[in-house]
Amino acid sequence: MQTRPIATTVGALALAALCAGGGAQAQQPIVLQWQTANLTETQYEPVWKQTIAEFEAANPGIKVEPVLVARKDHWTKFVAASQAKKAPCIVSVDLTTAAYNGYLMPLDKFWSAEPADFRKAWSDAMLSAAKWKGQLYGLPIWGGTYAEIYNRDLVVKAGLDPARPPKTFDEYVVWGKKLTGADHWATAVVGGKTDTTTRVLLMWIWANGGEAFNADMTEATFAKDPKALEAIKFYLAFAGKTAIAAPAATTTNYLEQTNLYAQGKIATMRNAYWAIAKVVGDNPAMAGKSFVAPAPANVPNAPTLATVTASSISASCPNPEAAWKFIKFDAGRKWAVARAKVANWMPLRNDLADDPEIKADPMLLQYVKIGQNARSYPLPSPVWAEIAANDIVDAVQKALLAPDKTDEIFRDLDVRVTRKLRDI
Amino acid sequence: MIRPRRARTALLWSIALVAALIALFPFYWMLNTSLKPASEVFVSPPTFFSAHWSLDAYANLFATRSIGRYFVNSLIVAVGSTLLSVFLAALAAYGLTRFFPRGATPFVMFLLFTKMLPETLLIIPYFQLMSDVGLLNTHFALILAYSSFALPFSVWMLIGFFRSIPREIDEAAMMDGATVLQTFVRVVLPLARPGLVAVALFTFLIAWNSYVWALVLTTDASMFVLSVGIANMVGEYRVQWNELMAAAVIAALPVMVLYSLLERHLVTAITAGAVKG
Amino acid sequence: MTPRRRRRAGYAFVAPVAAFLAAVVVFPLGHAFWTSLHRVRGLNATFVGLDNYRRIFGDDAFWHSLAVSAAFTGSAVALHLLLGLGLALVVNELRVGRTALRIVFLTPWMVAPAVGATIWLWLLEPQFGVVNYLLRAAGLISAPVAWLGEPGTAFAAIVAVDVWRGVPFVMLLMIAGLQTIPAEQYEAASMDGAGAAARFRFVTWPNLRYLVVVASTLDLINTIRHYDIIGVMTGGGPAGATEVLPALIYNTAFRGNRLGEAAAIGVALLAIVLALAIVYVRIARPERGEAAR
Repeated sequence: MQTRPIATTVGALALAALCAGGGAQAQQPIVLQWQTANLTETQYEPVWKQTIAEFEAANPGIKVEPVLVARKDHWTKFVAASQAKKAPCIVSVDLTTAAYNGYLMPLDKFWSAEPADFRKAWSDAMLSAAKWKGQLYGLPIWGGTYAEIYNRDLVVKAGLDPARPPKTFDEYVVWGKKLTGADHWATAVVGGKTDTTTRVLLMWIWANGGEAFNADMTEATFAKDPKALEAIKFYLAFAGKTAIAAPAATTTNYLEQTNLYAQGKIATMRNAYWAIAKVVGDNPAMAGKSFVAPAPANVPNAPTLATVTASSISASCPNPEAAWKFIKFDAGRKWAVARAKVANWMPLRNDLADDPEIKADPMLLQYVKIGQNARSYPLPSPVWAEIAANDIVDAVQKALLAPDKTDEIFRDLDVRVTRKLRDI
Repeated sequence: MIRPRRARTALLWSIALVAALIALFPFYWMLNTSLKPASEVFVSPPTFFSAHWSLDAYANLFATRSIGRYFVNSLIVAVGSTLLSVFLAALAAYGLTRFFPRGATPFVMFLLFTKMLPETLLIIPYFQLMSDVGLLNTHFALILAYSSFALPFSVWMLIGFFRSIPREIDEAAMMDGATVLQTFVRVVLPLARPGLVAVALFTFLIAWNSYVWALVLTTDASMFVLSVGIANMVGEYRVQWNELMAAAVIAALPVMVLYSLLERHLVTAITAGAVKG
Repeated sequence: MTPRRRRRAGYAFVAPVAAFLAAVVVFPLGHAFWTSLHRVRGLNATFVGLDNYRRIFGDDAFWHSLAVSAAFTGSAVALHLLLGLGLALVVNELRVGRTALRIVFLTPWMVAPAVGATIWLWLLEPQFGVVNYLLRAAGLISAPVAWLGEPGTAFAAIVAVDVWRGVPFVMLLMIAGLQTIPAEQYEAASMDGAGAAARFRFVTWPNLRYLVVVASTLDLINTIRHYDIIGVMTGGGPAGATEVLPALIYNTAFRGNRLGEAAAIGVALLAIVLALAIVYVRIARPERGEAAR
């Protein structure tokens, strides 16, 4: 019984069939792949499904295929696909890094072809957050403004007045000491291995009138700028001498911080509006118990930090016009408001102040107000992703573990980061 | 004479029980969490048993996520990898032991060498390769990748196995007029069955649990395997821990069942194949 | 069969694997080598020869990661072997319930590393984790310990979780090995008045020695590449205390976007592992004896 030749033939045929099946692509409708880390957020799911449904109904011949990926692996997948020139058409990624690496397509020709009516919803400042070397690489869709969120019950319980939140660093510590007790703390120092650590650190630096970088991002000044260093020490001391922060700062990321807040273990947190949705999801009893105030600052007009998420078109996209159509559609008022409502993501259009749904949410309005004086994040450097998630975090963690070496640690950081900034 | 022996057995049992506790506690916690309602997950102090245990998380999981689809994909990929791996390893091991005996060890060394690079570096070129031949988003691409992972161990074990099957059996069969292939398939392979089962179990486990390759090679949600489906449940803004754990339980069950049923073969195979070799 | 036909038959058997490996393994490996010789910035790759190697060897981060990898792999493999052999001996001695025990001990190996690590991450959580709760309830600690927050305990934790996951496989090999030791040898030793320790030293160990070498080599090669557990639990922190080489490679490739340097680190890692494996097998070989190989 000659089984081998038969098996071989069958195998070859199967292989051919699989190859053919794998390679077949829908010819007629244009298929746009859409990848952003937020598609896997449960509360956003109904919104994006509806967005796609309505877009496809209005544009027969274009299909939008969402690519679901875990947040932590979003960039990895994007890079692997970009290297093979097969990245999804519509992506939301770290814009500067992606643009620098040639993974994105400049959008100026699409943008300038749009009527002024459309374009005026985005301020120049907002657009500059999506530019690299003078070219536009994304359309800002939504963001997150950071402020200080307080648990009203715990504040009242500590004998403090919710209508008069702390305005300066020292006032904050006064509150902090009253809000700290056995097994509960005022706040948490975010020192875990994600870039949230860097976001919060930057805010404290800016609130003290300090700067972490020079104007054109070629030098790091964490230790060089005395105000920056002072702010760093002040903030990190919450987990040390000042003792108003929950323990385990070096493993506190967004998830841990919101957990602590949701379970009443900390009374305040530096966070964006979406954190409230998460907290209420974790612990429904927390609904309506929080209030928000601008972060304490030692200088007038200290800016807050606002993350900007933009939709971009990948460099290898074969149908950029169709992709732009979807991006425009998704940036529309309806979806901006929907996102704000279900996921608490700040709209970045400047024409929504009169929207009744937005006005009906006092906390959202409060955030919008605070966000009017904000600096956009991530900072515009192609090496930002690494600096923010590796180098700065390492320095923060080292300083948390050895507070007396803080000066030295941040001087080293300056040297390291400056070298990277210049090695582009 | 009896007392020291009793004491000894008691000692051994206590060690075994402590070890069993450490081995199983995380699974117990996984199960416990998957049965709890979401609001009870982060209660302090944590609850070991809950009056509110229910299968809601599991029901929700099936209702809101295509867990069934992911499960089937994982099954297809794992079974496919197992078959391919067994096929290739058996052929190679037999060929080496019977025809290139001195080449066996260097070949296994080479196989081991190919495993020494971390996956991170291989996913980009592999993606490119699969993309070039149009195999993205197919089960086959994953089957090809996973089959290669278990090869070093599989070939090594089967080499040992085939070595323990005397050549005289081959020669007797060939004297009776069988071709080399017939001898291999109808005479030698059946004798090596425990070894094949061991290879199959080993490959199945690796294929079932692997993540990063599926992450990179599949974009279509209908092609996701369980490990990808589970990873996608960890959102930044909300994590349904009980559902996540329920998914993990579902993912762990098939492997446990398989191993419980076939574990004896695994030990026999390694005993016969690896040790004596 | 003529030698020629034998050889052709042999090639026919080995060819499928060779072809498979060439496509699926050798090509990506070669590509990684090739990438390590280029400076890669996105889609631009410029040939720079050994410059990447010069850079990585000149960077503290590489040597630090190497040290962490050495410490991690060394302790994990040693514990895998010790505990694996220990558990195998225990299981072997117990007649009743042996199969059930084997399956129970095998379970940590069956769950995906990332899933197991996530559960442990949670068990070790300072405020809400069960481990701290139990320790406090037992009076062993007074305040919650931040297991993953301090370099020392974080390192111990990832080794512990890796051991939890890695012992079953080694145990399996050892169980198999123990079952091949002829009972007569033990009987002979007992009759000579040997106690348990002596029996181990003169009967068990010499028989298992080769298997231990094989198991530890396989384990070494595997463990030095482990990243999942560390990625989930600490990400390489705190302050780089758990940043093993695979973590450095991942961070360099996907956070730093320096694919060329990441490839260079990978190749360096491969060279180290290869060297280790060769040296190790060489050392262990002479004692093996003249068994027909």
